[in-house]
Amino acid sequence: MATTACFIIVSRNDIPIYEAEVGSAAKREDAAQLHQFILHAALDIVQDLAWTTSAMYLKAVDRFNDLVVSAYVTAETHTRLMLLHDSRNDDGIKSFFQEVHELYIKTLLNPTYLPGSRITSSHFDTKVRALARKYL
Amino acid sequence: MEPDVSIETSSMIRVAVLPIGHVPPVLLRDYHSMLLRHQSIPLSAVSSFYTEHQKSPFAHQPWDSGSLRFKFVLGGAPPSPWEDFQSNRKTLAVIGICHCPSSPDLGSVMDQFDSACRAYPAALVERCFAFCPADSQLEDGSKKGWNLMLFPPADRATQEFHLQTMMQDIAASLLMEFEKWVLKAEPAGTIVKTPLDSQATLNSEEVIKAKKRRLGRAQKTMGDYCLLAGSPVDANLHYSTALELARLTGDFFWYAGALEGSVCALLIDRMGQKDTAVEEEVRYRYNSVILHYRKSFIQENAQRVSPLTFELEATLKLARFLCRRELAKEVVELLTNAADGAKSLIDASDRLVLYVEIARLYGTLGYQRKAAFFSRQVAQLYLQQDNRLAAISAMQVLAMTTKAYRVQSKASTLEDSLPKKETGSSVVEGGKMLHQSVVSLFESQWSTLQMVVLREILLSAVRAGDPLAAWGAAARLLRSYYPLITPAGQNGLASALSNSADRLPSGTRCADPALPFIRLYSFPLHPSQMDIVKRNPAREDWWAGAANTGPFIYTPFSKGEPSNNSKQELIWIVGEPVQILVELANPCGFDLRVDSIYLSVPSGNFDAFPVTVNLPPNSSKVVTLSGIPTSVGPVTIPGCTVHCFGVITEHLFKDVDNLLLGATQGLVLSDPFRCCGSARLKNISVPSISVVPPLPLLVSRVVGGDGAIILHEGEIRDIWISLANAGTVPVEQVHVSLSGKHQDSVLFIASETLKSALPLRPGAEVTIPVTLKAWRIVLADADTAAGRSAFKHSKDGNSPTLLIHYAGTLPNTADPSTEKSVVPPGRRLVVPLQICVLQGLSFVKARLLSMEIPAQVGENLPKPVHIDNSLTEGAVGTPNKMDRLVKIDPFRGSWGLRFLELELSNPTDVVFEISVSVQLENTDHEHSLSVDRDATEYGYPKTRIDRDCSARVLIPLEHFKLPVLDDSFFVKDNQADGSGRSYSFSERNTKAELNASIKNLISRIKVRWQSGRNSSGELNIKDAVQAALQTSVMDVLLPDPLTFCFRLSRNGPGAENIDSHEESNDQVDSSASKGSVMAHEMTPMEVMVRNNTKELIKMSLNVVCRDVAGEDCVECANATVLCSGVLGGITMEVPPLEEIKHSFSLYFLVPGEYTLIAAAMIEDANDILRARARTKSSDEPIFCRGPPYHVRVVGTA
Repeated sequence: MATTACFIIVSRNDIPIYEAEVGSAAKREDAAQLHQFILHAALDIVQDLAWTTSAMYLKAVDRFNDLVVSAYVTAETHTRLMLLHDSRNDDGIKSFFQEVHELYIKTLLNPTYLPGSRITSSHFDTKVRALARKYL
Repeated sequence: MEPDVSIETSSMIRVAVLPIGHVPPVLLRDYHSMLLRHQSIPLSAVSSFYTEHQKSPFAHQPWDSGSLRFKFVLGGAPPSPWEDFQSNRKTLAVIGICHCPSSPDLGSVMDQFDSACRAYPAALVERCFAFCPADSQLEDGSKKGWNLMLFPPADRATQEFHLQTMMQDIAASLLMEFEKWVLKAEPAGTIVKTPLDSQATLNSEEVIKAKKRRLGRAQKTMGDYCLLAGSPVDANLHYSTALELARLTGDFFWYAGALEGSVCALLIDRMGQKDTAVEEEVRYRYNSVILHYRKSFIQENAQRVSPLTFELEATLKLARFLCRRELAKEVVELLTNAADGAKSLIDASDRLVLYVEIARLYGTLGYQRKAAFFSRQVAQLYLQQDNRLAAISAMQVLAMTTKAYRVQSKASTLEDSLPKKETGSSVVEGGKMLHQSVVSLFESQWSTLQMVVLREILLSAVRAGDPLAAWGAAARLLRSYYPLITPAGQNGLASALSNSADRLPSGTRCADPALPFIRLYSFPLHPSQMDIVKRNPAREDWWAGAANTGPFIYTPFSKGEPSNNSKQELIWIVGEPVQILVELANPCGFDLRVDSIYLSVPSGNFDAFPVTVNLPPNSSKVVTLSGIPTSVGPVTIPGCTVHCFGVITEHLFKDVDNLLLGATQGLVLSDPFRCCGSARLKNISVPSISVVPPLPLLVSRVVGGDGAIILHEGEIRDIWISLANAGTVPVEQVHVSLSGKHQDSVLFIASETLKSALPLRPGAEVTIPVTLKAWRIVLADADTAAGRSAFKHSKDGNSPTLLIHYAGTLPNTADPSTEKSVVPPGRRLVVPLQICVLQGLSFVKARLLSMEIPAQVGENLPKPVHIDNSLTEGAVGTPNKMDRLVKIDPFRGSWGLRFLELELSNPTDVVFEISVSVQLENTDHEHSLSVDRDATEYGYPKTRIDRDCSARVLIPLEHFKLPVLDDSFFVKDNQADGSGRSYSFSERNTKAELNASIKNLISRIKVRWQSGRNSSGELNIKDAVQAALQTSVMDVLLPDPLTFCFRLSRNGPGAENIDSHEESNDQVDSSASKGSVMAHEMTPMEVMVRNNTKELIKMSLNVVCRDVAGEDCVECANATVLCSGVLGGITMEVPPLEEIKHSFSLYFLVPGEYTLIAAAMIEDANDILRARARTKSSDEPIFCRGPPYHVRVVGTA
């Protein structure tokens, strides 16, 4: 399990619709903020990178200091799953993204969920954290 | 590290620009900007100042195309330890700038300049530019030596030309100095050192090594000077040599330096032409540069000095060179690497420069979020330095990031996002807000980041001592993120706001609104008292039909209008106060005091009145904002101006609307109004408002209080309505009409009074009486009224309203130009008559009672009814007439009294008094015989009905008998029937005749009631009476053809010659003799037969005397009465309208009660009589019977 990991889902309108600190390190508020800043900045790179490849998993797209940003862009809604991490477990991250993507699609199928709005389901949250424990 | 480096930096001559003496900052900036125009001086321009002293080392100088480049450093820079390594780091020239008016003594200026130049030992040229000298200074300055340049006051163009010449001179001087330097360096081999070289005493091996390297380094430095001199080909030659030498000696650092120089020379040579080959070359060489800088890293002095900065600078230079959208990936890679180097940098300021450069490059690349990220890193570095200047820098840097994080101040968004806002608002107004566009309003809501950035801006602004920026940041933070801030944090922000406001001058405006949230609550249209009506000057009734343009009820053109209806139009009037309701919400945990809030009207023709509001924590409040339009024209109200937390801000309704829209979609954190417990409100759009010139304004008042007028059913009352003109324009036209339900309850409006008061000047008042009659409560209402909830009936919908249309002067229609112009609208005053009808008397039923009370046979004849009719009005006062109606005088006989009995019940809780009046109609004149009205005078009580009681009221109907039975009654109806058959009565016209006569009869009966002192009214009983009278109207209305009377004629049959009229007056005198007849006495009697028709009637009269048992006691076997005279079969002819006496005598054997009845068989009856008798066949005899008369016989048997 990675010591630092911050997972975020960004909708096509660049709104974060889900945020989770899934690292094992003790949570610090300023660190969490920095994570979000890095992820936010990485959107610029993901935005360009997404059009250069047909793969949904973009691998590590950006880094700041020791923290690496990996991204996964869903095809259907251009939703970006982004993970900030300090480990280099590429396969685990890929699997993590794929499973979360599936979860996200399930959320999308919920008729009461307005695409592009915040994911508030606690079930989703629990599942994502479990996946993080499993793969990261 | 140095900021703003690029590959070309190596070819720039660094010039320090120093202010000498006091130079106002504005002027200094101005002079500096003049210098900046001369950053590049073409060699061709320099040539005139250039003199070749010896052979130039720059053999390949491109005199026609090359140029010298300057880099002006305002304020100078401290000497760099690396200036031997890169000559462009040396400050090679110093330019002093002096503003003569503020530094009068040129001597001291020169002294200051000289001492300032001492800080720049490498400077080859020093000049002091003195601007705007006085004449004395001009004279003085010419003596002062060659490096003081005076710029005489002149126009800008002249000065600039002068400055250009000076700069060309400096350039030429520098060029000559460079030549000198290169010539001097070539043979000698100057010692050049860098901090990288070991400071320790060199051992022998190293000395030898250093000697070897020296040559290469000298070549590299000469190459630098060639570059500065603008000769890239010469520079390239030197660099090639230097590269070779450095490679041989393993001098990686200098190798990289020379390589950098060669790239610069290449680019200068190509004059900025970038083709892929050059680009490839540059990329290749620079990667090598970076590699060699990295190689030159020496572990032992890493603590002290490191070539890392050069590596990073080279990276940045390459990145800047490549910085294009197409190469974004490559640039990002370079910048990411550069950013990685930051943590190895020793000097904090180096890191600062690095981040600044990275941020700038990302910005150039179009990666705004990346740029913002590094800008924020810069700001954090600034904030780590604990001083005010750093804080100001941090604040400015953060202000640049606000756009990327979407927390910008409104002031900065105003220009660039204007078109975007326009489209957004139009979509909202269209009502077809697509989901996507809703979402797009809330793009990039990274609330965590936004809060952090705002907090940092607040912090830096506080440290920098910029209260306005601090206020703005705190306001944005509080307004946008209050749901994420703890109450303590909210309080902190509130105090930050007030602390900042304390330092601001009062009346400061800030573009960013803080609290409260303000939304439009409602836009009250005109109260009905002030309604404005379009005036149609073409019509007399100008208020009607102004909207209707065609003859059709439906026009297809009006079909499209409903969509426009949402945007209603509002007309305001100059000088008349208007109100708008807004709702304020304070979703935070502290008491909010809004010092003043008023409508903000950019159109400027509106005086808004400020109000002060206090909002407790988590509360919302609806506030009425008012104002007065001041001039004609359209008014726009985009929002409110709020003075809160010591600063004036503008709150736009549209922003809050968007926010609420987002809240409904779940895109915004919270709906501030909802969390304050306010209900959801539909979107209210600001109508388009136009202001028109003053109009008259009528104000109505019901005299005696504006409360509901409480009336009982059928009550009639006068009220007075006072109308006053509260406007500033006289009322010229006025028209009163009625609308609403129960319009018939308004009996009378004195509109003439109103019209006669025109024109009604401002301030004038007129009072008009209105007569009301309460309507009947319908059955459904009566049911609820059973529960005594009578006030339920006072619902507004039930009452009629007075519509008063009025208007001021019409413009002069004679003038054709004004005819086209807009007619000032009229107005409508709606005066609701608040009538509350209580249940009054209720009518139970009516029936007709027929009574036949036998009269006593007396000396007097009972007066026939028709005689009453001949009485004059003076007879009203005759009391015995009253008697006759109420009581039956037994001596006057009876002729079949008929009464209408009305049964009334009083379910209310007040007492009613009933009076009946009958209106009599005569052929010649009409006079009302209101019996009970007279009775009041004479002490007769009204019928009083207590609460919850019933009572019966008798209405005698005898007065309706016509005096004469003639054909007129029937003829009238026959003619109406239209048929030619006179005097023949079929069933159907009898029916019609009946109805007409009943109606006639009923309309004359009025039942009035009175309750208390001042409520009185009339019962509506027409239907009931009609039903009761339906069958027997003829009997009621028409007299019998014959009337019979009996009387005693004591003096014998012949003695009776006194006229009945007189007798009636003598009644009192003869009262003693009336009453009884003695038994065993011959009693002379008379029967009088009156013909009520206009024709002679032949008949045979019979008189019958019956005893109490009803048996005929004259004719039967054991007769108790003897008679003399004829009693049966008396044939007589009665002339029309006259009476005939027939005398006879009776002898009563037995005392007791007897009844005399006269009857007659009419012979040869005509049609009228037949109709009256309702006979069918013409041969049927018509039988007439008089009323019974009582004879009391006293005496002994």
